[in-house]
Amino acid sequence: MTKKKVILEVNDVSRSYFEGGKEFKALEHIRFDLYAQDFVCIVGPSGCGKSTLLRIIVGLDRPTSGEVLFEGKPIEAKNPQVAMVFQSFAIFPWLTVEQNVELGLEARRVAPSMRAEKAKRYIEIVGLTGFENAFPRELSGGMKQRVGLARALATDTVLLCMDEPFSALDALTAQNLRDEILELWSDPALPPDAVLMVTHSIEEAVYLADRVIVLSGRPGRQVAELEIDLPRPRNRREPEFYGWVDDIYSLIV
Amino acid sequence: MAALRRRLWVVGGAAFGAALAASLLFPTTATEAGGLGLLSLYSLARMFAAYALALVFAIAYGTTAATNRKAATVMLPLLDVLQSIPILGFFPAVLLFFVSTFNGSPIGLEISVVVLVFTSMAWNMAFGVYEALSTIPHDLEDAATEFGLTGWLRFRRLMFPAAVPKLVYNSILSWTNGWFFLVASEVFAAYGTTYTRPGIGSLIAQAGSRADVGGIALGLAALVVIVLGVDALIWRPLSGWADGFRIDVPRGETVRTVRPYEWLRWIPRFPGMWRRAATRFKPVSHVYVGASLRLEHAYARHPSVPKTIRRVDLALFLVVFVIVVSAGLVGLAGLFLHLPADAGEIPAAALSSFARLVVAYGLAIAWTIPVAAYVGRSAKASRILTPVLEVFASVPATALLPVIVGFALAVTAHASFGLQVASVLVALFSMQWYLLFNLIGGVRSIPGDLNEAARSFGVRGWTYWRRVLLPAIVPSFLTGSITAWGAGWNALIVSEYFPFTRDVHVEGLGWLLDKATFITGDSQLLLFSIFMMIAVVLAMNKLVWRPLIRRATVRYRVEAA
Repeated sequence: MTKKKVILEVNDVSRSYFEGGKEFKALEHIRFDLYAQDFVCIVGPSGCGKSTLLRIIVGLDRPTSGEVLFEGKPIEAKNPQVAMVFQSFAIFPWLTVEQNVELGLEARRVAPSMRAEKAKRYIEIVGLTGFENAFPRELSGGMKQRVGLARALATDTVLLCMDEPFSALDALTAQNLRDEILELWSDPALPPDAVLMVTHSIEEAVYLADRVIVLSGRPGRQVAELEIDLPRPRNRREPEFYGWVDDIYSLIV
Repeated sequence: MAALRRRLWVVGGAAFGAALAASLLFPTTATEAGGLGLLSLYSLARMFAAYALALVFAIAYGTTAATNRKAATVMLPLLDVLQSIPILGFFPAVLLFFVSTFNGSPIGLEISVVVLVFTSMAWNMAFGVYEALSTIPHDLEDAATEFGLTGWLRFRRLMFPAAVPKLVYNSILSWTNGWFFLVASEVFAAYGTTYTRPGIGSLIAQAGSRADVGGIALGLAALVVIVLGVDALIWRPLSGWADGFRIDVPRGETVRTVRPYEWLRWIPRFPGMWRRAATRFKPVSHVYVGASLRLEHAYARHPSVPKTIRRVDLALFLVVFVIVVSAGLVGLAGLFLHLPADAGEIPAAALSSFARLVVAYGLAIAWTIPVAAYVGRSAKASRILTPVLEVFASVPATALLPVIVGFALAVTAHASFGLQVASVLVALFSMQWYLLFNLIGGVRSIPGDLNEAARSFGVRGWTYWRRVLLPAIVPSFLTGSITAWGAGWNALIVSEYFPFTRDVHVEGLGWLLDKATFITGDSQLLLFSIFMMIAVVLAMNKLVWRPLIRRATVRYRVEAA
């Protein structure tokens, strides 16, 4: 595989919490790079600190030691080129679909007319045309997550970070969204360039990722970095697919 | 809810009819009370002024406490103390201060009324804002940070909307509370003829001092109509609007899809005008945006600047705080060196006030628990009685003063005993509604499963009360009790001195406060009495209510499945 442009460097990141003078290690010595056109999944048992890692990567949390560089510079939470999709959707219940999608643009003081134009475009891409003026409580879970996705994409995201984006959805909706994410990712005309996703579902990771980073439980240590070289679109029924799932499963247990 | 509202309208209409009847029966009063509408407007204007101040204060205080952890360590305990102080005790001092500051002009009086009503509204609302902001889901805050929401935009898009439901809910409580204090302060100001300001409260008080039944009836009817009118026209639509901002909708509950801001759409009725205004102001806003962008760039280059601003902010707050506290301490020290002559009366006065409140509290418990049990469990009783009770509760106890005193003196043979009865009744009317409505809420919150289980095991009668009903309402009983006692302490100042027909009083802290203000003008006695009251109230909160609540939440909380 030819080396592509590095966009994200995770350099020896550790994170500890201090409580009552005691140190609780959540993450230890995580290091990996992310390239343009990469699709990376981080898997691990619950409580291994994978969500903490993602929060550090997008700049919402700071590592106790080590650093995260995005295009060579230290990451900041408000960097619009790295956008986040949340497990609980985290869309604002008092804003319409369109206002939610415009949020990142509004924060960057993009002119209202341009905001509306962009929001419309991404609302169409995620298939929510006609719901621009709906409020989140009128939407199903899958539609809410589409709003979260459109909101993340609307800032011309380079790296899309997702924290278990499908685990609050029913199986069918989740599968549809997975395929749509893959489509977006593989379309060079549309953001994002690269995707980093945290999941506890090994099958999901094998279905989606180019590379899977496996973390062990408490504290989270990097156990393996695997390149999934299955051709796309992937078929869950094939023995090779199951081979990968079993391999990763044995690494975690 | 709609049915309830209709019934409230009916009751409001009945009150209006009663007013008409009163004006026909007492034609002389009616001509005098011709300015009823204007008087109501005066009272309403004071309420709205105080509410506007309280709103600004609550948002500023709550937001600062929720976002600045260092400031919160000072601000929250301070708010807690302010909240439990019987504010009305301060009114004489505030009144004297403003009246002398403005050389006895009516402005000073108006300001002191607004300040008093403000203090009765603000703390509870500030707590509401703080609570709402500190319980925003972490993911939502993260998303706001992630998408770069800072400053004003963060406030507008995240914090303010998140605070709306709690703010509106607490506003309704504050508003009701405000009526009590507004009427009290108008009545109170009416005691000294030089201090009278026009308003519904002073109308009732003056009618009372003339023993003018028609005037009292008219005033009360007007008050009921105003209270219900504001409720129907402002608070009910507003709470519907606020539902659109709720983050968590409890399971099994369907919220009407209220569109946030939709309710406010009636404001821009003239789209053309707004568009014109927008184009006119666009250059201005562009200049502003440009300037603030430049400022932000400047900040970004010097990351220490915002931190410095925050530090200066905090330092200023601390300096003011220290000055206020030390001024208070110096004043205290000065006071203790020259004890006022009447200071010896204070402990005995506190004791007799306390005893009267205990009697009123006992009476309130005696009637509210059975009524709450009945209303809370029977849908039919609730349908019929709730609107009636709401209307009764909507009349601030302070407005009933002349009626209560007249009644007590009429039914008791002995005048001094009659005064004691009147004083207890005023306290009872201030306390009972808090207890009643909390208890009804408590009875209603008993899960249906629990009631059905009790029925299927044949648990009835006294066993049902002892094993199901009473334990289940303990938490709401305590909440109601604390609020009721707060109201009772506040009522002291109007419940122990009745200068209507003759100057009569009963012994107590409230009487001492009134005496110090109106008769002897003894500011030291005034301060000492206030301190005594605060000390008793804080001691009761810390030593009685807090421990009880802590134990009750462990033992009697009904867990939702």
